[in-house]
Amino acid sequence: MELQINGKAQTVSDTAAMDGTMPLLWVLRDVLNMTGTKFGCGVAACGACTVRVDGQAVRSCVTPSSSVVGKQVQTIEGLGADKLHAVQQAWITEQVPQCGYCQSGMLMAAASLLEKNPAPTDAQIDEAMTNICRCGTYQRVRAGIHRAAKMLQGAPA
Amino acid sequence: MKRRTLILSGLAGTGALLVGWSMLPARSRLGTAEMLMPSQGEVALNGWIKIAQDGSILMAMPRSEMGQGIHTALPMLVAEELDVPLDQVRIVQAGLDSIYGNVAMFVASLPFHPKQDGSGLVKTSEWMTGKLARELGVVVTGGSSSVADAWGSVRIAAATARAQLAQAASKKLGVPVDQLVFHGGKISTSQGAGGGKSVNFAALASDAAAIKVGDVKLKEAKAFKLIGQAAPRTDVPAKVTGTAQFGMDVRLPGMVYAAVKLCPMLGGAAGSFDSTAALKIKGVERIVQLPALGGGTAGLAVVGTSTWHARQGAAAIEVQWQQRSLGALDSAKIEKELAAIATQGGGFAFHSRGDADAAEKAASRTVDALYSAPYLAHATMEPMNCTAQLAGGKLTLWVPTQVPKMARDMAAKAAGMSSDDVTVNVTQLGGGFGRRLEVDFILQAVQVAKFTDGRPVQLMYSREEDMTHDVYRPAHAALLRASIDANGRIASLRIQSAGDAITPRWFERALPLLAGPVDAPDKTTAEGLFDLPYDFAHQHMSHSATKMGVPVGYWRSVGHSHNAFFSEGFIDELAYATQTDPLAFRRQHLSGEHAKRHLAVLDLAASKAGWSSKPAVGHARGIALHESFNSVVAMVVEVSMQGNEPRVHKVTCAVDCGQVINPGIVAQQIEGSVVFALSAALWGKIDIEGGIVKQQNYPQYRMLKLAETPQVETHLVPSTQAPTGIGEPGVPPLAPALANAMFALTGKRARSLPLMQA
Repeated sequence: MELQINGKAQTVSDTAAMDGTMPLLWVLRDVLNMTGTKFGCGVAACGACTVRVDGQAVRSCVTPSSSVVGKQVQTIEGLGADKLHAVQQAWITEQVPQCGYCQSGMLMAAASLLEKNPAPTDAQIDEAMTNICRCGTYQRVRAGIHRAAKMLQGAPA
Repeated sequence: MKRRTLILSGLAGTGALLVGWSMLPARSRLGTAEMLMPSQGEVALNGWIKIAQDGSILMAMPRSEMGQGIHTALPMLVAEELDVPLDQVRIVQAGLDSIYGNVAMFVASLPFHPKQDGSGLVKTSEWMTGKLARELGVVVTGGSSSVADAWGSVRIAAATARAQLAQAASKKLGVPVDQLVFHGGKISTSQGAGGGKSVNFAALASDAAAIKVGDVKLKEAKAFKLIGQAAPRTDVPAKVTGTAQFGMDVRLPGMVYAAVKLCPMLGGAAGSFDSTAALKIKGVERIVQLPALGGGTAGLAVVGTSTWHARQGAAAIEVQWQQRSLGALDSAKIEKELAAIATQGGGFAFHSRGDADAAEKAASRTVDALYSAPYLAHATMEPMNCTAQLAGGKLTLWVPTQVPKMARDMAAKAAGMSSDDVTVNVTQLGGGFGRRLEVDFILQAVQVAKFTDGRPVQLMYSREEDMTHDVYRPAHAALLRASIDANGRIASLRIQSAGDAITPRWFERALPLLAGPVDAPDKTTAEGLFDLPYDFAHQHMSHSATKMGVPVGYWRSVGHSHNAFFSEGFIDELAYATQTDPLAFRRQHLSGEHAKRHLAVLDLAASKAGWSSKPAVGHARGIALHESFNSVVAMVVEVSMQGNEPRVHKVTCAVDCGQVINPGIVAQQIEGSVVFALSAALWGKIDIEGGIVKQQNYPQYRMLKLAETPQVETHLVPSTQAPTGIGEPGVPPLAPALANAMFALTGKRARSLPLMQA
């Protein structure tokens, strides 16, 4: 099985990926040792495992790895590979993370939202951002998204 | 500018030393260079501070980062004393020597009423406990105590290092110490003298290490440049790039993975099981039986080439589970029992003042209310996990833990080896909230590592295993009774609460050395009820410590998490019972020196929230005030009803946590506490039926999401008193402030959590 991850082809054996039934999350974490993507619930409820597949935010814990063959997968490792993405810069300015465990998923969801909607309203942020954060960083996540949106329009970080 | 803070190097006597924990000889925690194990090119000046070849400061970090910002706050203390920018201080994990133990947390666990401060009994007990804690050296992150503990120890270590460097510089530059200026890791001769020469820390380190200094004077608050500033957190960059290493991110050559399948019935065990199907799965290599370890429930672990393989194996095993011998646990039954015990009263009287019995007899009327709160799970985002390797007679752990020393000692015992042969690497913690004060999952990893032939094994819980095998915030019930005299004034307040004690159980699980044959009164479960700031003339507060059998543990803000709901809900009831505005009622009963702090916090929250103004149509406000971990927090919650669900619009918070180290982190902690407490207040409940926890995953244990998050404002009362806690004090006032707001809106008084009963 060949996967396209962060613009790079990765070959994963059928044994390692249990014939493609292994969810993408575990292929990333345990087969490819890309640990930026986190496990939180295993039932697509918390969003800690959010990655982008062909630009769409998906919950990788319930996404069979075979289903992303031929698609472009982007993980947190690929989000700011050359230069920090606007959401990452905004997260630093707004001091969003506390424990930080959910933030990979939060950032991937935010990046996906901004690509579809470059200037989301509060209501649109409410609707799009359904990830769980036990540290309660939501208020700063919201501020971070607004800031990143402005940065994408040319405002400084 | 010349620094005003002088270094009184070489002065004997302790009189020059003024620190927050004045009764504790914090200098005894200075340690030695050997404790820091300096590697090539590094020079240690004491047990806390070493100088790297590039002149940067390496500080020993004994506290775990779980989101509370401690890996930023403690380096700020060091940077301040040494007058270096924050990014010049790096952290290295501290060893487990006793100097790194958390003394403040243990002293704070003494069951004294705050008004007793300064009495002989209190002083003696604090001294004894401080001495014991220093000797035990329990390296623990908890009890919102890390900054309070470091305020003496870490600053003294940094100031001592400064004094050593200053003397070395004085010799090298040929000018007296008091003419030297510290700036950015360099020491210069002050303007005019010696021609403006300077020398950096790295060049002085070896000389400085050989210099012994006596007592040092700490920088005064008015000279602080960094303390009090919202410095950006040092851990944030790695947390936005996915490179921060949490426990489950540890990757080692040859590593295998383990999933657990614990008995679903708490306290039960695995009987016979059929592993044929599991072992047929390619990549599933072994089943390991897990006895009940570290207070956990017994079960099985499955080892495989990935977590997913291991979990597939676990799912394929057929097990005949056995109920615990004492019979199935049932939370509904326990909750009823607790209500009965609370109503009956008795137990340990944590506080008694005046004569509540007589006041009740003489009263013209009494107000009674029975309050209750359920079991709660921690549900950290990162489930419990530990990586263990047993090879060559050594055990190595990589683990997100709040208790590295207990982890080491208990793991050594479990592996049958000396603690000296065990190394604990503490990773970032994906949330802690008290769950990572436990060693159950660590001992399970050690047990599995015995069967992996020297290869490291990463044992990780699924969300379901994590939620159903927690140590839960104990359910509690409390009867509150006030008597009102003929003039309509509150004459007495009686509180009788009932629920499991936590500390004796924790000692049994993690620190058996301190587990006694009889449970001592446990302050942690009664705090927030017996130590109220109000001045009612007659008070009696007792707690009946039960032992219901459900594993119970510390949950962010511990006893305060339910007790503030009981006490501040009831205080609100008394305001209405005496036809007084809830803010005015509290103000009337906050008298005397001790309550000045509470009054200031309450007034700040009320004024910032516009308490005296009319809320928007369909909205109402509620207020609550609570002291915990020596900090005082007041909150005003503004709420409306949207259908049957309350919608919290805004939470205005006022905080006195002493000297603020980093106001940005304080605001983060308050914002986070509000969200944490709001999830619990609205929906948080763990039900146990037939010994089985019914809530298995987030969909059944609902969490607040971004769309439901109120606007949170944090206002600080300026203070130069020693710092007090901030990781937990924002949790307790939220639930009562919300319940009080809902009463103001609907006229219905909620006395049971969660507010939204399923």
